[in-house]
Amino acid sequence: MTGSEAPLVELTGVAKSYREGDRERVVFRDARLAVAPGEWLFLVGRSGSGKSTLLNLVGGLDLPDAGTVAVQGMPINRLSERERTLFRRRHVGFVFQLYNLIPTLTVGENLLLPLELSGQLDQQGRERARYLLEEVGLSDRFSSYPDRLSGGEQQRVAVARALVHRPELLLADEPTGNLDAETSRQVLDLFERLIRPSGATMILVTHSMETVRLADRVVTVREGRLTEMTAGVGP
Amino acid sequence: MRRRSLGIGIAVVVLGAGLLLIRQGGDRKSGHVERPAGAVTGVLGGAADPRFTRAYVPRPFTFPRDHGPHPDFRTEWWYFTGNLATAEGRKFGYQLTFFRLALAPGAPNRRSRWGANQVYMAHFALTDVAGKRFRFEERFSRAALGLAGAESSPVRVWLEDWTARQIPERPERFRLAASEADYGIDLDLARLTREVLNGERGLSRKGPTSGNASYYYSLPRLATTGTVRIGAARFTVAGSSWLDREWSTSALEPDQVGWDWFALQLDDGRELMWYRLRRRDGSIDPFSSGTLVEADGRCRQLTPAQVVLVPEGSWTSPKTGARYPARWRLQLPAQRIDLAVVPRIADQELTGNFPYWEGAVALLGRDGAPKGVGYLEMTGYAGAGTAGGK
Amino acid sequence: MILWRAAARHLLRHPWQTVLAVLGVALGVAVVTAVDLANETARRAFTSAAQAVAGKATHQVVAGPAGIPEELYRSLRLSGIRECAPMLTAPVQTAAPPYRTLQLVGIDPFAEAPVRSYTGHFSGPLLETLVAQQGSCLLLQSTAAALRLRPGQPFTVESGGRRVLLTLAGYLDPPDAVTRLGLDSVLVVDIATAQEVLSQEGRLTRIDLVLPEGEAGARELAALEKLLPRGTSVVSAGARAGALDRMTRAFRLNLTALSLLALVVGMFLIYNTMTFSVITRRSTIGMLRALGVTRREVCAGVLGEAFLLGSAGTVAGLLLGSLLARELTRLVTRTINDLYFTLQVTGVHLYPETVLKGVLLGVGATLAAALPPALEATGAPPRAAMARSDIEETRRRLVPWAALAGALLMAAGGGLFFVSSAGITGGFAALFAVIIGYALTVPGAVLVLSRLFRPLLGLWLGVIGKMAARGVVVSLSRTGVAAAALVVAVSATIGVGIMVGSFRDTVQQWLGSWLRADVYLRVADRGNARLRPVLDPGLVRRVAAAPGAAGYTLSRRVSVEGAEGATEIFSLQMPKSTFIGYRFKEGDPEAAWGPFSRGEAVVVSEPYAYRHHLTVGRRLTLATAHGPRSFGVAGVFYDYGTDAGIVMMSRGAYLANWDDPGVDGMSFYARPGVSPGELVAQLRRLAGSAEVFVISNAELRRATVQVFDRTFAITGVLRLLTLVVACIGILAALMALQVERARELAVMRALGLTPAQVWGTVIGETALIGILSGILSVPLGIIQALVLIYVVNLRSFGWTMELSIDPLLVLQSVALALVAAVLGGIYPSLRIARSLPALALKEE
Repeated sequence: MTGSEAPLVELTGVAKSYREGDRERVVFRDARLAVAPGEWLFLVGRSGSGKSTLLNLVGGLDLPDAGTVAVQGMPINRLSERERTLFRRRHVGFVFQLYNLIPTLTVGENLLLPLELSGQLDQQGRERARYLLEEVGLSDRFSSYPDRLSGGEQQRVAVARALVHRPELLLADEPTGNLDAETSRQVLDLFERLIRPSGATMILVTHSMETVRLADRVVTVREGRLTEMTAGVGP
Repeated sequence: MRRRSLGIGIAVVVLGAGLLLIRQGGDRKSGHVERPAGAVTGVLGGAADPRFTRAYVPRPFTFPRDHGPHPDFRTEWWYFTGNLATAEGRKFGYQLTFFRLALAPGAPNRRSRWGANQVYMAHFALTDVAGKRFRFEERFSRAALGLAGAESSPVRVWLEDWTARQIPERPERFRLAASEADYGIDLDLARLTREVLNGERGLSRKGPTSGNASYYYSLPRLATTGTVRIGAARFTVAGSSWLDREWSTSALEPDQVGWDWFALQLDDGRELMWYRLRRRDGSIDPFSSGTLVEADGRCRQLTPAQVVLVPEGSWTSPKTGARYPARWRLQLPAQRIDLAVVPRIADQELTGNFPYWEGAVALLGRDGAPKGVGYLEMTGYAGAGTAGGK
Repeated sequence: MILWRAAARHLLRHPWQTVLAVLGVALGVAVVTAVDLANETARRAFTSAAQAVAGKATHQVVAGPAGIPEELYRSLRLSGIRECAPMLTAPVQTAAPPYRTLQLVGIDPFAEAPVRSYTGHFSGPLLETLVAQQGSCLLLQSTAAALRLRPGQPFTVESGGRRVLLTLAGYLDPPDAVTRLGLDSVLVVDIATAQEVLSQEGRLTRIDLVLPEGEAGARELAALEKLLPRGTSVVSAGARAGALDRMTRAFRLNLTALSLLALVVGMFLIYNTMTFSVITRRSTIGMLRALGVTRREVCAGVLGEAFLLGSAGTVAGLLLGSLLARELTRLVTRTINDLYFTLQVTGVHLYPETVLKGVLLGVGATLAAALPPALEATGAPPRAAMARSDIEETRRRLVPWAALAGALLMAAGGGLFFVSSAGITGGFAALFAVIIGYALTVPGAVLVLSRLFRPLLGLWLGVIGKMAARGVVVSLSRTGVAAAALVVAVSATIGVGIMVGSFRDTVQQWLGSWLRADVYLRVADRGNARLRPVLDPGLVRRVAAAPGAAGYTLSRRVSVEGAEGATEIFSLQMPKSTFIGYRFKEGDPEAAWGPFSRGEAVVVSEPYAYRHHLTVGRRLTLATAHGPRSFGVAGVFYDYGTDAGIVMMSRGAYLANWDDPGVDGMSFYARPGVSPGELVAQLRRLAGSAEVFVISNAELRRATVQVFDRTFAITGVLRLLTLVVACIGILAALMALQVERARELAVMRALGLTPAQVWGTVIGETALIGILSGILSVPLGIIQALVLIYVVNLRSFGWTMELSIDPLLVLQSVALALVAAVLGGIYPSLRIARSLPALALKEE
């Protein structure tokens, strides 16, 4: 937000295309984007416009064909796969549309996994996991398997999981896309309540206008171009 | 008596531990051999095999027939020992002994020529005094296929290529030949005495039980010439030998555990044979006995009362761990004999299936002057002290 | 670690999949272990028996069939060669139940010391009894107990058709376990007793020697050779034992190769399981990657899981294998007894080497098979790991490359077949290259064939049929591997089946030309040995005059020792018509008859010619009683009696060269009008009380074929085991596939497919895989049969067989594949058809 500060995420000249059978589909040709630390950037656009691809590129799950994806000034697309993964496990949290909890781990274990991966599985980490679970209102489901939970409950767990290791950057791919209005509100409320105070940066893909109201800045993705829509109405 | 030691030896080896050979593969280092007492007492002790003849009373001896085998008796031996020296004075001692053991009396009635009732064992030892080295070998064979046997006319005893035979055209002579890879002898023995009958006209009683006795005669001095071979080196030697002949079916009493046997040739022309039987409790058996042959050939039977025999010091065998007397003092006060019996070298132990000490000795007077030569046998010192085998 | 917990729970959540994978590894390991144990047990039993009997001997003086004159032993002893021991040995049979063949070993206990160690401690009179009492013998206490004998007890043995009374004098007390093993079937007697029992007075089988090493030994050997009379020779003991070992090497190698085939199939199964396990978890893996789990960690997870499965399977396999080994050992020993030499095996032990081999194979193969899926799971960028169609597409792109690699591998294997210097091992290597190469092309072939079948199935089953065919194609990543595993297993059964069938046909044809007389007579002998004791000459004269016989032949089969082991010589007095009736591989029987009947030339059997590189016109040297003599080779004839090969010569030539008038076999031609049965009866009457065995041509043929079938029983068992492994593989693969598709099928159910239609789709799909695999396995099976017949068997045994393919066998195998595949589809299809679509839809 404060333009003078170095951006937390910066995409420069990013190009990306996919092969689909014999045809090549271009998603981005020369995308550029900068996200300031603590900023909440929401991406909107039609299905297939490349929102999720952008998110994957930022999260280091996918690589651009050209250009640079920098996070905290680090060009992550030039890191090795392993370095990128290690970077991700420490600094990035994900929330997916389809919750994506590990089905063979309990709710508690799903929460502890990012801590273990980032080497924070200590007493403090465990307490934080408990705290977050309480915050999302599921403290009694610590030992349940994800398939025993409703969609909204699973997504709440997913939010807690994304936050548990205190990432600087949160990437959310239509986190309310599968939820009814009431549940969506609950989840968004969690975002507001848990993420804002932490000062984490968030990039969120959404279709819902109700969601958009939380954004600091909204960017439309259309035919491989990123267009800033309006100034945010955030706090 | 040493023959007796051998008697025990052969009985034990052939009957008891004989097949040990089959296991041991002739490994002489494993000197400890289990000797079943039953076999020993069975052969030399009271419970003699009734199929065999026993020695109860004196018998007439006929030579040369009695130089040959007596297959009706269980055991028998031809025992040659001698002290030899080269012209330069290099001294040797030798022992060539043939033992016969009957498995069954009579001749075998078998279709196979391997069928045999007689088994032979032989020991061949050479003491190299200058080289301080004692060598010995042990052999076994059944009396079959001409591999081993004994004959009386002319006299011949052999086990494969170890032989002792009378030369037909010169019946007063024996020819001994034995050869191993790194030593050998080829000797001509000319008798200087007639046969000396030990004990009661050749009946040598070993204990109070009737029949526990052997027939025993000696040729106590045979002038010896020939060659000794050590490795590839041959030495022309001369000296004197002693032949003991003994056969029996049973001899030892159950409590007799060993003996010390002396065959001494004195420089003054006398020969002295003495054996001392030791009992389990350490005492000396009153049946210990000997013969003194005067220079003119007259014989005198000796009793324990006439002989003072004292062991001096001890030597421990590195191979068997047995402790033998290192030397002896032998006195016959009435005969003005007072001798130190000193082994030519300390280690003359035969560590075969029946370990015993048998070697060349020098005889020294009180003043240390040489008084003669001889052979000494000491048995019953090795092993765990079981009966008979000691 | 939480990550490992996830993997472990995955295994627990799919128990059937886990169990089948473990079972696959277990069966593969079990078969390899069992064969290895059976081979090893037989080899050790043989080696220890040979060692126990040969002892520490470095050399042996041997001679022809008549043995060594005992005087030679005395000459050796008296000439100073003292580390030697005589031996007279021959097999004898106990005359009362339990009938057993024992090796009578006559020794001189007094000469044994340097050479052998049979026993430790003896109680007093044992040696005396053994030597002095005729007929005394020693046995192991265990052997005596098995024969229900106690010391002092007399018992009867048969030797050469005569009965002899022996008395058990006592027990052998071997110094160590190895010797004990070797003495299990040894009856120790004094050499005098041996000569009398065997009626071989004056003779020795051999003289064992212990010669020093190095120059001293060479000097002694040279001195020794000067003493040897003509007809005797000195051979190295190692060379002899080696020759016997070589004799069975090919046989054992064949078994090992068959067992490895089971493991290859097992590996396909593991690969399949692990691939499946990875694919079903692609979304989980994608999530984990998004959460920051590195590739290496994912890879380690997959491999760790494989390690777990492999270890469990290996442990189970080792246990199963050691059980199986008991039965296999019996079969292996029986075959060795039928074909080579008498061998008694009492126990099977789990040897450490075998366990190690099993562990390496089980765990190693599992890890190797899990590596490709593990790499695949981690190779794609995280995003792609979450999409399944990508994997299928990658796979499909790989198909042509796999096919190309397969084709190259097959070509390489095919090339190797023609390198005859590669030997049997090379033959097997080539065979495995071809099999694996072929397996690589199977997915491509399935793709092409499914497309071909699709319209057909569409016509037959409508939409469902088309769906089934498409399902096979679409899910090629699993169907391809499953099909390849099934193809390998089924082709192995076809290949081995054709080989055994061809062999059997060939042997039957050969018997027709070889057994030409009407009735055969030999000494009754319970033993199975090829070499038999001679017939009483009086008996030979009596039966030769049988009124019902138009003619007869006299034969003698002996083993002549040489520096390179023994040569079996079969001498036969026969009419020209018989000789000409034999089937010759090389040479003209008409032309060969002259030199053969004059004793100038011999004919050799095909394996003999193969082993000794002989052709017509070359010469071979045999150690005759008059020293080495060279004979021309006038022909090579077909013979399947022994893979060591035989040399056949006229009886005249044998008599002239070996001075052995013995006859051990006779055959008779019936007069016109006399039936073989009448002739048999006549001969039995003439034989009187003599213990002879009279058998008609038909009975003998039957007995021979029986032995043949017995010999190949083990091959059949291995074939079956391989197929079981494959069936489990296909079952696991198809079940996994169908269970994974539960959601898709539930959608179909929701769209209105009836349970029966769903069932039809699933069964149709698995049946298609079964049929395709069955069809694809036929060419590979025939290739394997060709390789086994023309490369492996020829190089192992030197036998030519005529290929004969039984169409029924081929059909059976294809049907088997179909049945296995359909079985694999039944459970999942039932499960899906019965379940409520909503439940399946909710899953995942």
